[in-house]
Amino acid sequence: MSTTDERPLASADEPESPTNRPGSMHLVKQWLQRPYVRRLLWITVAITAVIIALSFVMVAFMNMSGGPGSAIMNEIEKTMFVLTFTCAPLMAGTLAVLTYSWWGGWGSVASRDEPTSDGPAIQTNGVAVVTWITVCSVLAAFLVVWGLVELATITSDSYGSVPANQQPNSAKPVVVNVTGQQWLWSFDYPDSGNIKSDQLVLPVNVPAYFNVTSLDVVHSFWVVEEGVKIDANPGAITNTGFTPTKLGTFNVRCAELCGLHHAYMETQVKVVTQEQFNSWIREQGGTTTS
Amino acid sequence: MSTAVAIHEEAHVPQPKQISKPGGLLRRTNFLTALISGVVTAAVFWFVTDKITSAVAGAGATNSMALPSGLNINITMMYIGWVIGFMAGIGAFAGPIRWFLGHDLTHADAEYMAGKDMGREKFWKFTTDHKVVGIQYLVVTLVLFGFGGLLAMLIRTELGATWTEVFNPNFYNSIIGTHGIVMIIAMIIVISGPIGNFIVPIMCGARDMAFPRLNALSIWLLIAAIPPLVSNLLMGGIRDGWTVYQPLADQAPIGMIGYQICIITFAFSTGIASVNLITTIVRMRAAGMTWSRTPILVYGILGSSIMGLVWFPMYQYSQILALSDRTLLTSFFVPSSGGSVWLYENLFWLLGHPEVYVIVIPATAGLLEYLPVFVRKPLFSYKLAVSGIFGVVGLSAVVWVHHMYMTGWAPQSNYPFMMSTEMISIPFSFLVLVILGTMWRGKPWKRLPMMAVYAVVWNKVIGGITGVYLSDTPVDQYMHGSMFVVAHFHYMLMGAGLFGAMGVISYFFPKMIGRYLDELWGSIGFWTAFAGFQITFMSMFVAGLQGMPRRVLQFDSLFNISNWISTIGAYIIGIGMLIFLYAIIDSWRNGIPAPDNPWGGKTLENFTSTPVPHENFPVLPVVTSGPYDFGTPDPYELADDAIMQKTEGAEKVSARS
Repeated sequence: MSTTDERPLASADEPESPTNRPGSMHLVKQWLQRPYVRRLLWITVAITAVIIALSFVMVAFMNMSGGPGSAIMNEIEKTMFVLTFTCAPLMAGTLAVLTYSWWGGWGSVASRDEPTSDGPAIQTNGVAVVTWITVCSVLAAFLVVWGLVELATITSDSYGSVPANQQPNSAKPVVVNVTGQQWLWSFDYPDSGNIKSDQLVLPVNVPAYFNVTSLDVVHSFWVVEEGVKIDANPGAITNTGFTPTKLGTFNVRCAELCGLHHAYMETQVKVVTQEQFNSWIREQGGTTTS
Repeated sequence: MSTAVAIHEEAHVPQPKQISKPGGLLRRTNFLTALISGVVTAAVFWFVTDKITSAVAGAGATNSMALPSGLNINITMMYIGWVIGFMAGIGAFAGPIRWFLGHDLTHADAEYMAGKDMGREKFWKFTTDHKVVGIQYLVVTLVLFGFGGLLAMLIRTELGATWTEVFNPNFYNSIIGTHGIVMIIAMIIVISGPIGNFIVPIMCGARDMAFPRLNALSIWLLIAAIPPLVSNLLMGGIRDGWTVYQPLADQAPIGMIGYQICIITFAFSTGIASVNLITTIVRMRAAGMTWSRTPILVYGILGSSIMGLVWFPMYQYSQILALSDRTLLTSFFVPSSGGSVWLYENLFWLLGHPEVYVIVIPATAGLLEYLPVFVRKPLFSYKLAVSGIFGVVGLSAVVWVHHMYMTGWAPQSNYPFMMSTEMISIPFSFLVLVILGTMWRGKPWKRLPMMAVYAVVWNKVIGGITGVYLSDTPVDQYMHGSMFVVAHFHYMLMGAGLFGAMGVISYFFPKMIGRYLDELWGSIGFWTAFAGFQITFMSMFVAGLQGMPRRVLQFDSLFNISNWISTIGAYIIGIGMLIFLYAIIDSWRNGIPAPDNPWGGKTLENFTSTPVPHENFPVLPVVTSGPYDFGTPDPYELADDAIMQKTEGAEKVSARS
């Protein structure tokens, strides 16, 4: 063997290297020069772009019926984007290797033939494993932290778990007792003379607070465009709330199978101005404080 | 006295006396006697219960209906009678009877029970041979998928016909629930049943499972559990979805009892099968098969069995308590008498979530098992794969509350359970890296099983990312209970689980049946179903994003277009699955005969003849190398490879892969 056939890790760039080993960045650079690695990177970039474009389509679908109607729904949509962007590169990288192998980028054996030779005996690769685990863990940790912060945000938005006097909004909330029964919703405004309605009417930009329960089986109170959902349980009261920020008519649906006519257990929420709300209350025979 | 003489004197091995012909009672029992015995015992139980309950109801009562829950008690006892009678009729109690009579099991008896030298009738009997049980499981699975698939077509027909109600709401809700639970049962057994029973003992180098008679018991308990479930459609249905949340289930007609008896029986079957598989895997691996030479499929089945054994009892308890609410008028889950609906939801989801991994882990492990064979490369980072499987098994215990984010049960618990749910993606990502690393620079052999790997990873990526949305409580506040969830779990259970199982079955088909699965028709069926699947569930994601709740039969016209597309896709899946079924049946009868080693694999099942002989191996094998020792030395690592140096000199110096 001639000297040029020694383990050729001493490349021309680093003639002075005392250990005769190139630096790690150099190894990465050389790895990146392999043709298939470059192609894979390009495919990854392309798929990432597609996924990011798709995330806008997804949120557009969520808004098709008139949302977002509240700050909570805005937070949910923001979180959709963050989750998609965080996962996109990893997902795209996976799909890139998949498509590259499928298209025969590394060659392939037709189904009628039999493989005649073995592939490279790559048992494992410490660098790849450590990198992958680190990247996945960091991304998962980021998702967890983001999720925890967002959950705290929307919880205080809907004052689900904070006392009423800690509300950021100074307006006096509209309290509504929501009762599910097979198969209709009824709404009860205890602060406005206990008027009852089968339709939810709320003033815009005023916090609405819900005490939700059920008379018979488990229902789920879902105000679709406001991004709020909580089960209505028999024998228990659950709480949720939101501040509607958009005028309009939105949907209330039951999101838990509750028997025969579950599909028809839906009604509407009308978000109106404070004046319209007050006159609606008076029409129903209730009393208004303002 | 010499030692040699003593040995000679003791060379006569003591054997118990053969009382009757080998097999004894089991010579007379088969599927037909089981059916007759089941029906007769059910009728007797009904009659006796009716007499007793009317006596309890007091003077003047002519039948049990005088009791508030009289009908429920009668139906329950009738189903219990069916299960006991069926098991007696198949001969499941022959062992205890023999023990009480003081008869010993002779070698000839055991061989009869294992179906030695028996023709096709062994498939209709209480046969202990693991290969027979494997085939029985395969057929039962196919029947269940056929039935569940038919119900799926009915559901999609209703949802596609947006202008009318095709079925009445009660029937529609019943087929939703029945489709769900039938498919869940089929998916739980689809790998662990046929492959776990047929292939795993051979792969471990054993002659049979650890407990052959328990093996037969598990399959026949499963078969006994199916009729009560299916009969619910004739008895008012289970109009509650597969989760049968209380107290809605308490309102349901008597069909609900069929569901509960089915789950209680099926849980016994699963527990017995799990114990059997775990013992076989832990104790009966061949000499030399250390834990680092054990095939990854065996690990997958082990992990799945552990989860089934630990968590299935929770589901069983929940159904026993619900049944007791119904018959004995207890109030575990009746809020008006102090019960808790949240207790039911917790018990249910304690199994309900690990069950997803019970389904997905064996399917994934099956793909990992044969992927090296089709790229002729070692499994990338075997130890990472094992860690991934057990990471998922461990974390699966602490994620169930993510199904209950929106129940209002304990809003504070959403924080830790969101954390654990998102953390489970880390061990799952290990398995993804193993798949990618094994594909890396390999030349895939484009047979159907290999193509299934691509299909499954695609589905898993989509199921995975949509799972990230759902694991996040704020986003789940919008998504929970919507069609988005339905599409997501179909991507995991059907996309990863069922399509994975189709790949795994097409891989092991030649070893199990002795003939290759027809490549052309199998592929046409597979890809047709795959295309239909993408159409159906992509479109269902859209419906969910638009805000369509699940389990409805009529809906806002906003969702019409996506539902039409979904229904068309579902019919395409149906056609594809029928073609695949045709491929299975046709290949079973006249496929190309398979050699001993159908694909060139290195695991033990490839070192016995095809079809596998009675007791699997003439001589028990000794393992001396790993199961995935494929591959030639890596050219990028061979620094002194002259050709490499000439052509791609700059590249070969770089890192290993």
